[in-house]
Amino acid sequence: MTMKFCLLTMVLVFAAIGDKDVAADEVDFNRDIRPIISDNCFACHGFDKDARKGDLRLDQRAAVTEDRGGYSVIVPGKPEESVLLERVSSSDPDLLMPPSDSHKKPLGQKSIETLTEWIRQGAPWGEHWSFVRPQRPTVPKDASHAIDHLVRQGLIEHRRDLASQAATHTLIRRLSFDLTGLPPDVELVVNFPQTPAEQDWDDLVTQLLASPHFGERMAMWWLDGARYSDTDGFQSDSTRTNWPWRDWVVDSFNANKPFDEFTIEQFAGDLLPDASPEQILATCFHRNHMNNGEGGRNPEESRVDYVLDRVNTTGTLFLGLTLGCTQCHDHKFDPISQRDYYSLTAYFNSIDETGAAGGRAKPYLKYKSSYAQRAVDQAAELVKQTESHLAAMQKQADKEFVPWLLKQVVRAKRGFRPWTVVIPERMATTEGYKLRLESNGIIASSPAAFPQDDFVITLAKPELDRISGLRLEVFPHSSHTDGKYSFSETGEFILTNVKLLLRKRGNSQIQEVALAFAVADVNGVGVDSSYKTVRETLDDDPRKGWTTRTKPSDVPHTAVFALEEPLVLSHDEELDIVLMQRSLAPRELMGQFRLSVTDQRGAAVRSLKPMPLELLAKLNDANLKSDAVESNIDGSLRKQLFSQFLEGHAAWKEAKRRNDLAKSQLNSAKKSAGDQSVMVLGDRKEPRNTYVLERGVWNKHGDEVSRGVLPAVLKRSAEDVATRLELGRWIVSKENPLTARVITNQVWQLFFGAGLVRTPADFGLQGESPTHPELLDWLAVEFMESGWDVKHLVRTIVTSQTYRQDSSVSAELLELDPMNRLLARGTRFRLPSWMIRDAALKASGLLNDAAGGSPVFPYQPPGVWQDQFMGRFVYRPSIGQAQYRRTLYAFWRRTSAPTFLFDSAMRRTCEVVPRRTNTPLHALTLLNDTTSLEAARTLSDAAIVASPKDLPKRFEFLMMRVLSRMPTADEAARVLLRQYAVAKDYYDEHPDEAEALTTVGQLASPNEEVVADVAATMLLANLLLNLDEGITHE
Amino acid sequence: MELSIPLRQKQAVTRRHFFGQAGLGFGALALQSLLARGGKAAGGDYRIPAKAKSIIYLHMAGSPSQMELFEDKPALTKFHGQECPQEYLEGKRFAFIKGTPKMLGPQFKYQKHGETGQTLSELLPGLASISDDVCVIRSMHTEQFNHSPAQLLLQTGNPRLGYPSIGTWVNYGLGSENENLPGFVVLASGGKTPSAGKSLWGSGFLPTVYQGVQCRTDGGDPILYLSNPSGMSREARRKTLDAIRDLNRFEHLNIGDPETLTRISQYELAYRMQMSVPEVMDIGKEPKHILDLYGAQPGHVSEAESAADPRVLYKGNDPTFANNCLLARRLVENGVRFVQLYDWGWDHHGSSPGESVDETLPIKCQQIDQAITGLIKDLKQRGLFDETLIVWGGEFGRTPMMQNNVHKELKKGFIGRDHHPHAFTMWMAGGGIKPGSYGSTDDIGYYIGENPMSIRDLQATILHQIGIDPHRFSFAYEGLNQRLIGPTEEGRVIKEIIS
Repeated sequence: MTMKFCLLTMVLVFAAIGDKDVAADEVDFNRDIRPIISDNCFACHGFDKDARKGDLRLDQRAAVTEDRGGYSVIVPGKPEESVLLERVSSSDPDLLMPPSDSHKKPLGQKSIETLTEWIRQGAPWGEHWSFVRPQRPTVPKDASHAIDHLVRQGLIEHRRDLASQAATHTLIRRLSFDLTGLPPDVELVVNFPQTPAEQDWDDLVTQLLASPHFGERMAMWWLDGARYSDTDGFQSDSTRTNWPWRDWVVDSFNANKPFDEFTIEQFAGDLLPDASPEQILATCFHRNHMNNGEGGRNPEESRVDYVLDRVNTTGTLFLGLTLGCTQCHDHKFDPISQRDYYSLTAYFNSIDETGAAGGRAKPYLKYKSSYAQRAVDQAAELVKQTESHLAAMQKQADKEFVPWLLKQVVRAKRGFRPWTVVIPERMATTEGYKLRLESNGIIASSPAAFPQDDFVITLAKPELDRISGLRLEVFPHSSHTDGKYSFSETGEFILTNVKLLLRKRGNSQIQEVALAFAVADVNGVGVDSSYKTVRETLDDDPRKGWTTRTKPSDVPHTAVFALEEPLVLSHDEELDIVLMQRSLAPRELMGQFRLSVTDQRGAAVRSLKPMPLELLAKLNDANLKSDAVESNIDGSLRKQLFSQFLEGHAAWKEAKRRNDLAKSQLNSAKKSAGDQSVMVLGDRKEPRNTYVLERGVWNKHGDEVSRGVLPAVLKRSAEDVATRLELGRWIVSKENPLTARVITNQVWQLFFGAGLVRTPADFGLQGESPTHPELLDWLAVEFMESGWDVKHLVRTIVTSQTYRQDSSVSAELLELDPMNRLLARGTRFRLPSWMIRDAALKASGLLNDAAGGSPVFPYQPPGVWQDQFMGRFVYRPSIGQAQYRRTLYAFWRRTSAPTFLFDSAMRRTCEVVPRRTNTPLHALTLLNDTTSLEAARTLSDAAIVASPKDLPKRFEFLMMRVLSRMPTADEAARVLLRQYAVAKDYYDEHPDEAEALTTVGQLASPNEEVVADVAATMLLANLLLNLDEGITHE
Repeated sequence: MELSIPLRQKQAVTRRHFFGQAGLGFGALALQSLLARGGKAAGGDYRIPAKAKSIIYLHMAGSPSQMELFEDKPALTKFHGQECPQEYLEGKRFAFIKGTPKMLGPQFKYQKHGETGQTLSELLPGLASISDDVCVIRSMHTEQFNHSPAQLLLQTGNPRLGYPSIGTWVNYGLGSENENLPGFVVLASGGKTPSAGKSLWGSGFLPTVYQGVQCRTDGGDPILYLSNPSGMSREARRKTLDAIRDLNRFEHLNIGDPETLTRISQYELAYRMQMSVPEVMDIGKEPKHILDLYGAQPGHVSEAESAADPRVLYKGNDPTFANNCLLARRLVENGVRFVQLYDWGWDHHGSSPGESVDETLPIKCQQIDQAITGLIKDLKQRGLFDETLIVWGGEFGRTPMMQNNVHKELKKGFIGRDHHPHAFTMWMAGGGIKPGSYGSTDDIGYYIGENPMSIRDLQATILHQIGIDPHRFSFAYEGLNQRLIGPTEEGRVIKEIIS
């Protein structure tokens, strides 16, 4: 184990930047000594008996001072007799500690001096601070706020005081983000007293704590720790429906459920007397781990993984202990043995689970969510809306139909040719078959030995304006085997795939053109029955395809393929028509075939029947008189023609697409309103035996162990903590020295960006000591004595002057305290990425602040899921109001977290350390993500309505919405006005670009007269949403 | 971005304090100023003289059969078709083999090549032509026999999820040489990303800024959100960024937080990346003779991209991997530190069509052999070979026995081998690696004969070549000094393969 250079560096730096001179003052064991010996010695001389060398442990005073045959490692009061000092400062490399082969550096001079001074002072020992129960420190009665008093204590020696209070709008904003995860309403900021009294702040805090968004904000913290996700993870990554648990968390915070109850229900709600469905639901907490359904994997191995995950999560989230270390061996630093660890796993080892994944991860709770109906209503409303829009479009299309029909009549009269034969520009094959062009556009291949091949027919300069369909004819021929279709033994052919590839001449880019539909005159059955219908040629699987075997073999057969969108081939483009024949039946390749194309859409390319225009052409001229044409054609032909017309009607098609999406959204909302299977805890009848697992390997059983809690944390007999329920109670026992501190620290971290303990996941010996130990203890005791009242804890923190400080920093203070460990200023940190998205929705007015229900799908770039899963999962962004829900409700796929969250917890294992990056990838997301752009467009619309003419007023509107303040004169004149003017000029000249920019998300483009103004204002909104100030906890 | 000198130093000092925690990341700029201050970014003095400047790691996901490519085993041919002796089966776990399988001799012919007398099969004619440039290691072994955990162990040093990948470690330790490009780029071919997914190039507990950036080559944005929205020209974007910069400067004047300056520089970097990434990703700019050298086809859309199951692609001419090899050269040429290629489709069990050793493997070899040969030749002619370390291999090997769970007897197109963790082959080249061979296996290739090389040894050796002491290079997390090579000292730099 190498030493923790960086921690040491930090210790030294802080010693150097102004902490009291350690060596001269009284040495504190926990603060000054333990880090040195823990970092440098414990790996070989610590708690882990297997790793211990020279039979020496340095983690206990008795062992360090014992007589080891004429000498002691440490002789209290006598540095000169203490062998420790000799060994750490020796110039003999064989004697020097830590030894060079440990890859640790020798101790620095400063550390040696500190050790010397400590021994001189009698080498006082101390128990590690976090394993001692917190005591409430005394705070003078006249202190205005305990937090401020305790923070000021630390500032006195630096002759500093708390910074002044932040500007009122900043503080409103800070409170609003911290307590609800959303920026404040503009009205709130405007109407707030200019010089607020204490009562005004109190009222605001009360109001925010009562908001339903408080629970959502706190839930986001809890979900990261609980590794909540909507899918299993790993290769199969199946969807699960545990979201009712997510709503339970939100509800619990909103109802201010005491944290001890909150904990006990999550550990063992199922074991409570007369457990309610909600109490059982709570135990989903311990089922949020990943599930591994990989092929060939032993389910028992997975099950053991889940059990370990529960213990590790408990360790990190509630106890601040790195229990994962003890999976394989005794902890090297903390007094926790491997046996202790496995005793803890015994509480979770008898869940009635099998280790299976997907829909087989019992035990389940059938649960109906009370939040689901709202989504059904909203989806039904959307179906109605899109239906009436579709009807309106249909009406409009009706009006446009007759003029279109007349054009078709003219065409039909000129002589309509349904199919145009392809005369290839080039022909090629992949493996080596030879193709030649015969008369009538028939292409013939020669017999060859290759079992499979692709025929590539290149089409250029077609006679048609556009191509909407492709026809393939396959001909029998006397030269083929038995006069059938190929030279193979059977004479049959199998077409496995058809592809269209578009290529610009002289350019290497190739684009695939999608086919939507295929139909054939007959579909046969292959010897391998996977070969059947022509539809099988549309996927990429060569194990399926089209054959006409078992059907008449002496007539030509025909297949027609419809393009998803008509293709307009420009003069410098070519289209490769690739006919893949890669079946498992050797040499079953077409011997004679012909390709044709058409420009007709709809029914024309969805059946082999005569095309509507063909029928039209056959009508006699009398019926085609322009004034009576519509009434003269019969109903079925009119229907066909009309549907063909609609295929080409962009507005109708878009309305249809949205209507289809709305209907499928309604379907899934209805499904979510029924019983949901939520993974929960529940014990099996026969408890499993639990063993120590050697080196953490799932089936390497060591000693058998029974249930037991960690004696180093809070000693309790096995009888006292016999069940999972009692384990939950042990976690939140007021005698447990860790839980209240660990949770308080995480809550503090939410509002200050960093905890009082800067290693929130590690309160053990290798973790950092608290920056304000007394404050942490005061808060922990206050939290417990208030009855684990979370809202009270939050209120206590955010009503302190410490919380209200201005976050600006002088160069001098930055030098003294770059990481704000003294809390002599407000902390400034970037908002979590989910909050940035929610803020953009709120500021723009797009936000749909409905609570609860099944997950929604915010915008993501196309192809993200498909790329990763070969099209097994397709991401369809939600439409209508469902698109604008808070990020908390976004679907979370474990293997592909939402892309717009450029940094966030991974939701794979428990995480309590915030991930906060400052990278170009995050800049790109905020600049270019659809949500960001649609919010900017919506803001632009609102700003123009609020101030159609007066630009400075418009800027004020935007600034108030995004930053909760008015622009300064410099900002308005020097930046915003200039930027607006440049953009407006540009978009005045380029209305097409203005239209492209403003047509975003679900919004249609504004009308022509205002489009440049909307676009220019939208650019301003986009830049404001990207400002450091806008995305930062100021 | 111009900063006054004292300010920039302060910025660096501030960053440095953040190094102890995973909560913060920052760009190349801050990193470089930090490295200029002594190169102690992570776990102390871990920098050692480097043999290589960059790494191209070619991972064949699914794991190719060493028996058909590198291991000429006459004894195995002799036992071909006989039942496997029980001693090889007792107490062993296999992913799919059941009961007593039959021994399966190598399916292709072997020959010795070059001055080093390298034994290679007929499936790798290209590699044979440059066999004197590579070092073949036939004594690799691993602890994992399922794809995801084995890939994770190989790439992150831990079979569980949540640990930083080797590319992230290297990027974190050394940074990128080009501040307009990410330092760690991932390219995938074969129609699918590896089983273990994005975790293979994740940052684990290291700052996320060092994670691998997957560049997509299927026609969309190479990097997510890279393109400006339609209706926003590059000039318009420039003006927007100018305004953002100006307003952020006001903010910095008011507040004094150095993070604001970093933010400004990251937005600038984003703007430069919008230009530099598409540029470097466009292999269409390469002359024809270079494209032909690799067998690359610019703009090709892999049919496997949308395939329901790409294992059944019987095509030999998919150029996606060749394109990625050419891209890899362009990236390292432009200062990218670590380029990770994944090629899917090497899991040749023989249990369903299109995943056999006898028919599919030759096709996969055809897809990579010319490309890899071209890559090495191209690096050589540009003088980049010596400073680029190339690593090739799968996550484990394949059994000397035939897999028998579907087809009990040999059947053309269905001859396959199961996962085999006890012995497999990898090769390395360039970057200070001594050409030749290292290690061997027993007569039938089941166990290591001599000079075993573990995953940890491989990781240690790779770090060593790029100029990082693998033992000293660590990051404090969860109470431990986490290292790529794990907590114990078992990982060794294999000196025998270093020139």
